[in-house]
Amino acid sequence: MIEFKQVSYNHPGGTNALDNINLKIKKNSITAIVGNNGAGKTTLVKHINGLLKPSEGEVTIENNSTKKSSVAELSRNVGMVFQNANHQLFADTVKNEILFGLKNFGFDQDYIDERYELMTDLFNLRKYEEISPLKLSGGEKKKVCLASVLAWNPEILILDEPTVGQDELQKNILFEFINTLHSNNKTIIIISHDIEFLWRLQPNIITMSDGRIIEINHPEKIFTDKELMNKVGLIPPQIIKIFNGLGIEKDIPINLEDACKRIQGLMEE
Amino acid sequence: MYFIANGFIYRKSNSIIHKLDPRVKLLISIQLFTLALLVSNLYNLAIIFIAISIFSLLGKITKRLLRTMIFATGFSALILIINYFAGYSLVYSIQIALRFIAIVCSTSLFFLVTSPDELEYVLRWFRLPRDLVFAFVTSVRFVPVILMDTLQIIDAQKSRGLELEKGNPIIRIKKFIPILVPLIINEVIRSGELAEAMESRGYGISKNPTSLYSLQLIKQDLIVMFITSISFISIIFFGY
Repeated sequence: MIEFKQVSYNHPGGTNALDNINLKIKKNSITAIVGNNGAGKTTLVKHINGLLKPSEGEVTIENNSTKKSSVAELSRNVGMVFQNANHQLFADTVKNEILFGLKNFGFDQDYIDERYELMTDLFNLRKYEEISPLKLSGGEKKKVCLASVLAWNPEILILDEPTVGQDELQKNILFEFINTLHSNNKTIIIISHDIEFLWRLQPNIITMSDGRIIEINHPEKIFTDKELMNKVGLIPPQIIKIFNGLGIEKDIPINLEDACKRIQGLMEE
Repeated sequence: MYFIANGFIYRKSNSIIHKLDPRVKLLISIQLFTLALLVSNLYNLAIIFIAISIFSLLGKITKRLLRTMIFATGFSALILIINYFAGYSLVYSIQIALRFIAIVCSTSLFFLVTSPDELEYVLRWFRLPRDLVFAFVTSVRFVPVILMDTLQIIDAQKSRGLELEKGNPIIRIKKFIPILVPLIINEVIRSGELAEAMESRGYGISKNPTSLYSLQLIKQDLIVMFITSISFISIIFFGY
């Protein structure tokens, strides 16, 4: 369990980025954080792996305060994949990029080899292992970043805007991948503006604005609340728009196939 | 790093100093800089610091200039120690150290109250080559962006277990490779993209492009220029 207890954070310039956050994120859950730019989403997640320490209040992971641990100690259990892959990639080969975290955490060679093999197979990166990660396409770079973080098998995975710059095929792979991780008892936290992707994924949704949590609820409740969506600067998924247009506010289908069947049924009625 | 950089980055404000013509701001900065180089006693150095304080108060930049001072104090302490152990008197060593702080502050003062646009007008007023001015001003404008990139990269690498604070000096230097490589590559890519964006918006087509704004000295500028110049000349001729 990740817990934020009355957490506030002020940037060094004095700006109040988080204001009295109280939040619990359950183990083995998928949580998405949405909100307009500057709402404090990234600031919030940076508290989980200790990149930022609260100005007031406390963040705990399994009842251990993040204040007592270094970023490296916390990162052993909290993997974070940043939005911009170019901010992370530096090694001469994809292989060395994936091994970077494993070596930093000081795992023994057998474990490093085992995890490396698993990651290259899982992300289909075998053909690129001796190539510079900087020469890869945007989608492939994201894969390398993800592989390099998952390599040390963190219990909590934070993904900052994972679908940005990804085509539909890559998004589908990511969707399957997140579900696989979830079924392997990982806790996943996603920051995203991609509402269509989140609707498919059906995570718990945290909405943020001006450094505060506005509401925590399931996607249907959040995405059908027009006032809330306006406040956080988001547009509801297409399926919700269609069904709202048909006068349906509840039990909206998640995928397109179900939506088609439902509409067909309505037409027959 | 954020703390130090804030001592040199411009922020919009409505203060009297911000509103001055950029040429006047440059003149004040040059005068303070020159005095800091020339003065030879603590009394005159005190006058320079009083002048810097007045300008920073009027410009509402005291807090940020203080950061510059703190940054410069580290180096000036080193200067003091080296001078003292080299055989100079303590008073002389302190004087040299304070001179360094005054030089850094007078430079910082100009950049804290002058926007990159104003800097461009000043440099063009000096009839410097347009490409050179553009390159210089762009690099100044991109300082905060590069700083943000650096912080993001440090965060990304720390999240993968990189501990910059551990190890002997050689190991610590080596640990900066995962930060410097993405930073340099990002900035090279960015500069390429910027060049393409500039060219696609017609940069370089006209040899003498017109400007939307022109520099104009007003009464306020002339008064400030007169007061500072008189003070400067007085200190030069009678002060030391």
